[in-house]
Order: sequence, then structure tokens, then C-alpha cells
Amino acid sequence: MRCLTRLSILWGISVALAGLASGGLAAGAELLIGGATTSITPDQPIALDGQFHTRISRGVDNPITATAVAIEARQADRGADQAVLVSCDLVAIRPVLLSALRQRLAEKLPEVDARKVIFTATHTHTSGVTEEGKYEIPKEGVMQPSQYVTFLADRLEQLIGNAWRARRPGGVSWGVGHAVVGYNRRAVYANGTAAMYGKTDRPDFRGIEGYEDHGLELLFFWNTGEQKPLAVAVNVACPSQEVEGGSKINADFWHDVRQQFQTGDYKDVLVLGWPAAAGDQSPHRMYRKAAEQRMLKLRGLSYTQEVARRIVGEINEVCGLVRNDVRTDIPFVHTVEDVALPVRKVTEKEAAAAQAEIDALAKKGGAARRQLWQQKVVDRYRQQDKEPTLAVEVHALRLGDVAIVTNPFELFLDYGVQMQGRSKALQTFVLQLTCGSAGYLPTERAVKGGGYSAIVASNRVGPEGGQVLADRSVEMINSMW
Amino acid sequence: MKPIFQRSALALCHAVFAACCLCPALAPARGAAAELWVGAATADITPDRPIPLTGGTAVRIGREIQNRLTANVLALESRDGQRSLDQAILVACDLCVIRPGIQEGFRKHLAGRLPGFDLGKLVLAATHTHTAPVILQDRYDEKDYEDAMQPKEYVPWLYEQIGEAVVKAWENRAAGAVAWGLGHAVAGHSRRVVYSDGSVRMHGDASVPEFRGIEGYEDHAVHILCFYDARKRLKAAAITLATTAQAEGGSKVSADFWHDVRRLIHARHGAEVSVLGFCAPAGDQTPRAQVRRKSEMRMCEFRGLTYSQEIGRRVASAFEDVAGVIAKDIRTDVPLVHRAVPLELPARIVSEAEYAVARKVCEDIDAKQTPAKSDRWTRTLYGSVADRYLAQQKGEAKTYEMELHVLRLGDVAIATNPFELFLDYGVQIEARSPALQTFLIQLAGASREHAYYLPTPRAMAGGALNDKPFTNYSATVMTNMVGPEGGQMLVDRTVATIQELWKD
Repeated sequence: MRCLTRLSILWGISVALAGLASGGLAAGAELLIGGATTSITPDQPIALDGQFHTRISRGVDNPITATAVAIEARQADRGADQAVLVSCDLVAIRPVLLSALRQRLAEKLPEVDARKVIFTATHTHTSGVTEEGKYEIPKEGVMQPSQYVTFLADRLEQLIGNAWRARRPGGVSWGVGHAVVGYNRRAVYANGTAAMYGKTDRPDFRGIEGYEDHGLELLFFWNTGEQKPLAVAVNVACPSQEVEGGSKINADFWHDVRQQFQTGDYKDVLVLGWPAAAGDQSPHRMYRKAAEQRMLKLRGLSYTQEVARRIVGEINEVCGLVRNDVRTDIPFVHTVEDVALPVRKVTEKEAAAAQAEIDALAKKGGAARRQLWQQKVVDRYRQQDKEPTLAVEVHALRLGDVAIVTNPFELFLDYGVQMQGRSKALQTFVLQLTCGSAGYLPTERAVKGGGYSAIVASNRVGPEGGQVLADRSVEMINSMW
Repeated sequence: MKPIFQRSALALCHAVFAACCLCPALAPARGAAAELWVGAATADITPDRPIPLTGGTAVRIGREIQNRLTANVLALESRDGQRSLDQAILVACDLCVIRPGIQEGFRKHLAGRLPGFDLGKLVLAATHTHTAPVILQDRYDEKDYEDAMQPKEYVPWLYEQIGEAVVKAWENRAAGAVAWGLGHAVAGHSRRVVYSDGSVRMHGDASVPEFRGIEGYEDHAVHILCFYDARKRLKAAAITLATTAQAEGGSKVSADFWHDVRRLIHARHGAEVSVLGFCAPAGDQTPRAQVRRKSEMRMCEFRGLTYSQEIGRRVASAFEDVAGVIAKDIRTDVPLVHRAVPLELPARIVSEAEYAVARKVCEDIDAKQTPAKSDRWTRTLYGSVADRYLAQQKGEAKTYEMELHVLRLGDVAIATNPFELFLDYGVQIEARSPALQTFLIQLAGASREHAYYLPTPRAMAGGALNDKPFTNYSATVMTNMVGPEGGQMLVDRTVATIQELWKD
């Protein structure tokens, strides 16, 4: 990710790589599909990413993994287009990690176009830190972020190579299911303010700020002649952060999804967990908590197991319906652009407030992470006239009747719904937290309500940029139809 | 709007109702653990002749029956030996709305037929199917009813049919048991589409560049109550979810997805089980999604189901799943307390500008030589706005009278309202309720006046009344007798009444 210097080139110097060879639709090409999975569980204690305070892992609840599906369209024995879809049990794909991965792939796997490898984080808050300087981490006995980046580069390079080499003729099928997983986490009050995870039993509670989407977009990958899918990609509008405050390595509900799904006939079927636009969603219940808890008790399940039960039930159901509709002779196109988005401008008042908080925290001592967070606001205020845009990597793919579009944000759901509503595809998979980490991208109504996730410190890009992102994403999709 | 019954008779009904409900002997402060008696029955409310279908701008004649309309009755009594501690009769009807006067008329019809039962504790609720009979004679032009059964014929027949079922349910009540649980089904979708200029359109086009999102929340919870006989066999089920029964529409008589829910539950548990389908606050919800429609229909094709059947499948699946789980926790000695509270809510005030719009629309329609079929509907709604303004000017029509029913049944609260209540209000009630589960039932027995939609402030911001009736439909004064001020009062009073039942 890099900042562009001129607003006038909002769309400018976008790099469109529409197909390795021709840039056109790879219609009627043969699809080659391969897959692999690997553990990315660090073998020593590590700082956990996703909270303001430092947590050092005290063991492993369950393994965190990365899973890859490699797709190549071949026409007349030539590669027409390709994509490697990688889902990682990480909180985010930090820029430092992304560039390390791309560099490694360019060096070691030249047959794969590193730019067409799509890394998505599931947003588990119980995975390792990959960015130096973000947390105060003991130097001894703890895997350092840069060490973990190297560890990940080793594992993911191997993973992608394995998936690429495993390519065999195959096809895809797609379907929609439903699972109540993500809940809108922003409570609104009588005075117009909003709060993430705000209390809902207060007399001044007025409702939930926005929408929820309990649709489950499902994409099944098949190798010819196999009775079971090679992999399933599950796009759910919810980050995996039910156990977010924990202090053990944990893949959150995706672990349970894998465990419950990969049994019987579906043993070894790979699962790609893909968070859809869900900046304002989480698995945490905003009300009705006691009733949900009672049902868990009666079922004898943890909440992550319950979430998995809901998702896996649908995967099984939909797989049964679409298994006879596997398509091999379909258009496959993959484009990637750096889209320049106008940044959310820091006001003078906001910069002053950030500086005041930094000063207050410095006086008290500690809270380095929070100071750093506010320092970025002050820095942005100083730089924003010189750097009015933020370039973000956006991928758009057409795979038969399915569109896949990515962004690096915790993107508020409304933008994802816009993309789905306006897309010409039968099904549109929106992948957030992909190929970068650019913070929350809130809606206008969220900015009005305030609260964490919609304040300037949480938003490098605001509603203006969000609309640009939505519009460009839709254009990229629809240009393929 | 003309009420079916004379105001004097209604006033008497209200007085009797209020007296009954407030009588301490009949409404104990709190239900002690006691024996729960359960009765259930089902009435077929489908006449075997053509019927005018309600819920549209012009009347449609239903000449074919896609599936039958029913009214499902649940009679509950809490008993200490031979002593009745409290009681309730809930009736879920495959009707669009329980129009003004219908519940009162039905109570009158039942007078003397239910010994020991306080008729003020009977509640009729509608599922909001739009393929059910018109029940107000003046809703449409009489000549448009053609050869179909007239509302004035249907309503007495309806009373007979439901009346028999109510009597049967009350008489067959016996010691039983109850269990409750929470499931999920994606059945209701927010139907208000927001555009870049701030305007909102119900079922608006989400594929245009100006589309900015869906106005509000969705709630895919399914609240389930199972009622059993003494041998723990399922006798009745009450299911509440935040959507109206409008999956399909059309011009055939149909109970919409509730038919499919019942069919699936009956196939598993027996045709004698009464299945009460209730609509939770869902003024801004319907089963139809605003996005992903084509892919949803493709999945229906794979399954060989209509959309209504698909919604039925989801709800019935949630029911089966939950019913299996809660069978471990069946209760017999739960408190039952039923409060019926007369409530006056502040009316939504008609502004002078709105009056001017309404008057102009009425004048334009009145001047037409050959009015369109929908003009009667339009004239009625705009005419009502003008009438309300004039009544306001005289100091009348400042409040809306309704019955609020609140029940405690074990750890469950049940609360009703007569509106198409926007979901946010329901969420507020549930979040603030001390009950483990709070079953909310909208479209329950309007009193003297139509209740219509009860919108949120954000919905009202989606557009003001103009000469196009579907501008911000459901959130303009045309279809709001009560606005957000009254909505908040309804929430606060409902919560306060529930809290009363959870004291100590």
C-alpha cells in the first residue's frame, strides 16, 4: 500500500492486470484447481494481535492454519489467467507481511504471479503479531513479529507451492445458504450517539445502527472424477473474534467449522474462511444473551461450536444441492488494481484532541499502544494535504456466475450490500481484510454516531472513500459481465 | 374510517375490558408456581366460495385456494386446585390485519359461551397474509367485490368458525406443560432501501448506483413455545418471528409461508397440533430480500420449492431443531400472569403542509370522471389524513387507544401491540426486558381505529408526504396513526409492565 500524491489521479496509475496473456475473458478454458493447507501456529510464545494491550500467548487452544486454493484457466496449453486464494487465521494481512510474502513468492515461485495471490485474514484476535513496534513485547522467550513474518513466509510459500503443484482439471459450483453468525455491534442511543458493544438494556437505547447479513455465499471447488469437493470457500459477514480477549492461540469459530465439517465423506476437504464486509459486525450478541446461553447449555456446545454448527449445517445442505451443477467450462478472469481512495481528513480539533490524549497518557506513563494510535492521527493531520489519497489493492474475479471482490478494510456492511445489490453476478463474494490492513471503513451514519470503529483514529478512509471503493468495485465486477 | 360498531357500544366494551383487566381478583400481582392447563384447537377460516383479497390498492378476487387459511387457538390457564389464577386465549389468524372493531365484535360474539373466562383476556392476532379475505366492507368499492363473498357476510362466518375453535380449546384445556427455546431462521428482511439523496423506498431497486444500503436492522430469531399434554405429547406450538407472511402474494387464497410451516410440523408431530404463527414487530420487514434475489430463487429451484415453501422450510427446521433441544426442559409448574392494559398513545400530528397535500389529492380524485381502480384506496388514505387534521384543529384525535397485553409464562414474556411496528421498537423491548425470552406479537387486535405502521425517527427522515402514496410508504403520516413519540411510549410501557411481572 502506498499513498498517492495527487487527488486528481484518484483512479490514476491503477495497475490493471487483466489476465496473464490476453486480458480478456478466459471463456471456455480448462480450469485447473489445486489446494493445500498448513499450520501457521507458532512453535513458541508470541504476542497476540488485535487488542490494545499486550498479550503473550500461553499455549494453544487449537491450531491456526492457512489454506490455499490455486486456480488456473488454461487455453490451448497456455495459462490464460490465475489466482491463488489464501485464507489465513490471522487478525489482518499487515502491509509488512504482504510485502514479505510477495517478495518471497517472486523469488521462489516464479511460475505463480505473486500479484495474483490473494491473502485474506479471518480476523481471529488470538493469532500472532506481525508488525514490529506496535506492542511492547519482551525480547526474550517470545517470537518477535519479524520472526513470525519469516515463519509465515516459509509456511505460506510452501503452502502456495503445494496448492499450485496440486492443480488438476476441475470445476466449481456455487450456492447460497444462511447462518446467523454476525451481529451488528453498534448500539444507538436517544441522543444520536452510537457505541460499539454499547449496552442495550438502558432506557435510552434506541436500536441497532445498521443491517445484518446472514446470507452465506458458498463456492465449492472440485477435481474431475472426485465424489467430494476439494475445497469450499465460505463467505460470511462476520469476523472470527468470539474468543478475542483470550490468551491462547485460537482460530476462533473457523477451527470448529473445520472440525465439524471435515468428518465422514468430507474428511480432508479444505475450508477457506472468508470474512465478508463486516466492519460493524461481530459474533458477539448485543441482546438476548441469556436465551442464547441457555440454548448452548442445553446443546452442550461452546459458542464457537454453535456458530460452526450453523455454518456447517448450511455447507452440507448447499453442497448436496449444487454438487450436480459443477461447471468446468466457465469464464475465469482476475483483475487487480491499486485504487486510490480519498483519506478521511483529520480536523484541527481532532488532531488537538489526539495530542491532548497523548500528553495525558505520557504523563500517566504506559499505554504506549494507545499513544501510538493517537500519534497516527496527529501525523495524518500533518501529512494529509500532501497525501490526500490512500491506494488500496482491490482484486476482482469472475468465476462463472460468481464475482469475488476484495478490499483491505474492516468494511462496514452497507458497502458490501451495495456491491452485492449492484453487481451483475449471480453471487458476489465480498472479501474484506484482504491484501492489506487499512482499518475500519465506516458509513456516514456511523460517523455521525461516533464510537470506536467510526472515529477518525479508527478510519484512514471515511465515507467519501468508501463510496469510491464501492463504485470502483462494482465497476470492476460489472466490466467482466 | 368508519368503525364497524357504534362508538357507544365500543365505549361500553372498553369500560368492561378495563374493569376486568384491572380487577385484582382476576389479575394477580404475580403468578405463583401453579398447575398449567393448556387447551388448543384449530379453525378453518377459508370460505368455499370466491373471496375478495385484502392488502392491495385494488381488490383482487380469490377464486382458487392455494392452501387453506386457519385460525389456531391456544387457551392457557394457571390453576391452584380448582381455583383459576389467571388465563389467556391467544388466536393466531391467517388474516392480513385484525381490523378495528373485529376483536371487540368477536368478544361480543363469545359472550356467555366461555364460562369462567374473562373475555378481556382474549387476543386475536394476524399473520399479515395478503391473500386472505377483506374484512372491512368499506375497504373497497362494493361493486368491486363482484360475486365474491362480501366482508359483511364473511365476518359473521369468521366469528362462527373461530368461535367454535375458541370454545373447543377452552373446554379441552387440561393439565399440561410448556417448554421454550430460541432458534434462528432467515425469514424476514428489512424492506426499506436507502438512496444517496436520503430518500427511502419500500422494496426499492438495490441495483442502481444511488443505492446506499438497507435502512435498518433484521432479526432472525425464532422464539418457540411448545405446549404439551400430560403425557408430554405436543399439543400446540407458538412461534414468533420478525416477519410478515408476505413471501408470495398473488390472487389465490393462501396462508403464505405459515401454511408450509404447519404442513411440515404436522407431518412430524401430527395434524392435530395447533401451530400459532405470530408476527413479531416487523413493520419494516418482509420475507423478500432486497439483494441476492436471483441466487435465492436459484436455490429454491434446486430444492423444487416455491419461495413461500422455502421460508416455511427454514422456520420449520428451526422449530424442529429447538423442539428437540428444549424437550429436556419441559415445565409444568410455571407462573402464568396476564395483564391487559388499556393504553393511550399520542397520535402522530398531521401538519398543515400534509393536510394541504392530502386535500389536493382528494380534490383531484373527486374531480375525475372515471376514477382508477386504486383511487378509492388512495382517496381513503389521503382523506383520512385530511380528516385527522380537521379533528386535530377541533381538539380531537390527539391520542390512539389500544390494548396492551403482557403475559408472563415461566421465564417467557409475551407482549402484544396492534401496529405494524418497526423492528427497532421490538429490539428495544427485548433488550430491556428482564424475561429470558420475550415474545412480541404485532398486529394484535386493533381497537377503535386502524393502527397501521409505527415508524422510527430514521424512517420518517426518508421522505415527507406528497401526492405519490408510495413515497416513503409506511413512514409518512398517511399510514401512521402514531409516530415515534408514541412508539417510544409503547416501548416504555411494555417494558415497565413486563418488569412488574418480574418483580421479586
